[in-house]
Amino acid sequence: MSSHNSSSANDPRQPSSAKPFVPPAVSPQDLPVDYSGFIAVVFGIAGVMFRYKLCSWLAIICCAQSLANMKNVETDLKQISMAMMFGIMGLVTNYLGTGRPGPKS
Amino acid sequence: MKTNKRPSYSLLLLILLILSLSLTSVLADSHFEGFDAEDDVVEDESLDLESLHKLTDLPLTQSDSSPPSKTTHLSSSDSLSDPDPNPNPNHPASKPSSPTTSFEYWDEDEFEGVPVQHPPPETQQTTENATPDQNLDPKTTQESKTGPISKKPSSYLIEIVSVTFLIMFLINYFTGKRENENLALAWAFKFATKDSIFEKNFSLLGVGDGDDSPLLLKEGQNVFKFYASGRRYCSGLLATMELKSRHDLISRLYNLVVPCKDEITFEVYMNEDAMDHVVFAMAKKKAARGMQKELMDLNRFAGLMASPTGGKKWVPDELGVISESKEVAGDMITDAVLEQVFGEKAFEKYGRGFISMHFSDQHLGAHKKVLMFKFSLPDADNMTDMTRLVALVPYYIDLIGRYKLSPQARSKTDAARQKAAQEAYKELQNARQEALQRKKAERKKMMEEAEAKLSAESIRKREAKERARQMKKAMPRVKMTRGN
Repeated sequence: MSSHNSSSANDPRQPSSAKPFVPPAVSPQDLPVDYSGFIAVVFGIAGVMFRYKLCSWLAIICCAQSLANMKNVETDLKQISMAMMFGIMGLVTNYLGTGRPGPKS
Repeated sequence: MKTNKRPSYSLLLLILLILSLSLTSVLADSHFEGFDAEDDVVEDESLDLESLHKLTDLPLTQSDSSPPSKTTHLSSSDSLSDPDPNPNPNHPASKPSSPTTSFEYWDEDEFEGVPVQHPPPETQQTTENATPDQNLDPKTTQESKTGPISKKPSSYLIEIVSVTFLIMFLINYFTGKRENENLALAWAFKFATKDSIFEKNFSLLGVGDGDDSPLLLKEGQNVFKFYASGRRYCSGLLATMELKSRHDLISRLYNLVVPCKDEITFEVYMNEDAMDHVVFAMAKKKAARGMQKELMDLNRFAGLMASPTGGKKWVPDELGVISESKEVAGDMITDAVLEQVFGEKAFEKYGRGFISMHFSDQHLGAHKKVLMFKFSLPDADNMTDMTRLVALVPYYIDLIGRYKLSPQARSKTDAARQKAAQEAYKELQNARQEALQRKKAERKKMMEEAEAKLSAESIRKREAKERARQMKKAMPRVKMTRGN
C-alpha cells in the first residue's frame, strides 16, 4: 500500500496545494433538534402549572441532559435556561409554596 | 450507588429541615405580631393537638409549625405584659394541660374525633422517633427535636431518586467525556502523529494552520474532526469521529437496549480533474440495498452488482457492491485490496470494522467528487486493528486519481451524465418558471388588493360626504346678521 514511500519522487505529499481547514457553515435550522430541551420545557411548565414535583424534577434532569449535549453555546443556552427556570420555579413553588402550614387549613 | 445514596439522603434531609425550620420561625413570628395573649393559648393548644395527631395519625397539618421551645419562650416573654390574669402557658414537657383549658378554644367542627388527652412525655419520644436516620450528626438530631417532621421518609422517594440520578449524571458526564477524548486521542496518536499513515501522505495535518495546530476539532462532547490536506489528486480529507454518547447517562442507558458503535467517516474531496466517471459503493448486503435506494447518485447511475461467476476472486458474500458498470466494479476491487482487506480470509480478520465505502463524482453538496469511507472504531487499546482499513484511504485516492475509464464505458457514462444534466437543467428551468409565475400571481393579487382597498376607501369617502350633505340639509337655516 502507499503508506510506504522513501524516495521523494514517490512522495504523494504536495505542500503547495495544502489548504487550511475551513469549517463548513451550518445554519441554525440544520442543527439536530434538541428534544431533551423541549421535553424539559414541557415538564417544567407542567410542574409549575399542576404543582407536580415529579414533573419539575424530570424537567431538571432533562435540562442536565440537554446541557450535556449542547453543541452551540449561544443558541442552545437560551432554551435550556428557560427550561431550567421553569424547573426551578416548579420546585420552589412545590417545596416552599404548598409546604407552608397556612392558617386557611 | 449505595455509597452515593446515603450522604445525598442525609444532605437532603438536612436541607429540608433547615427549610422547614426557617419557615416555622417566620410563621411563629408573624403569628404573634399584633395579637393579644389569647393567641398564645391557642398556639399552645395546637401544639397539644399536634402531639395528638402524631399518635392518631390524623392528617391535620396545622400543628407542624410550632416548635415547643419557641412557644414557651414566647409565651413567657409575653406573660410580662399579659392582661389576662389567668394565663395558661401550657408546656407539654413540663406540665400536662388541663382538659378545661383545652376545650375553651376548641372548635368541635374542626377537630372531630380527636382523643381528648394523652401523656406529654410520649410527644417528646415521637418527635425523636420521627427522625428516620440514626446516623445523623448531633446537630441534625437537635434540630429535629425542635422542629418535628411529620412526613414519612417514603414521601421523599422522588427527591432521593432524582437527586441521586443527577449526581450520577454529573459523575458520568465527566468520566464519559474523558473516555471519548481518550478514544479520539488514541486514534489521532496512532494515525496522525509522526511517521504515521496520514503524516506520510498529507503535508498539512490538523484543523488550524501552522505547524503545531491542534489535530482534532471537538464538536459537542462526542464528535471529533480531523483534517488533512496537501496531497496529490485531492484537495482535502476530513475525518469525523462520531462516538457513542458516553457523557450522557440517558443515552448510555438507551444504548444498553439499542447498541451502537463508534464510527469514523473519511471524506476525501478529489480534485476536479483527478477523478473520472466513477460511481461505486460497497457495504454489507442489507446496508447496500438501503444505500442504493436512498442515495441519489447511486440510485440514478448505479445498480447492485451480482458477484461474477467464473472462479474470479471477489469480495465475500456478506458484502454488496453497487456500481455503475461491471468494469468499474472490477477495477475498483483490485487484487491488492482483496488480498489485504476484502478477501474471504482477510475480511474476517481485518474487515470487522468496515461499514461502507462510497465513491462518486456526482455527489450532492459543495464538493462533487467525493470518496467516503465509513469504519467502526475499535477500543482505544486496539487501534492497530484498523490500520489496514485506514490504509485503504490513501490507496484509493491514488487508484482513483490515476484511473481512466475505457472509451466505450466512458461514452456510456457520458451519455448518462448528459441525460442527468439535461434533466437537472430542465428541472431547474421548471422551478425557475414556477417561481416566476408565482411571483407574477402574487403581484397581481397585491394590485387587486390595493385596488379593492382604494375603492373601499373612496366609497367610504363618498358616503361621508353624502352624510354631511344630508346633515346640512336637515339643519335649520340660521342666518346671522351683523348688528349695526
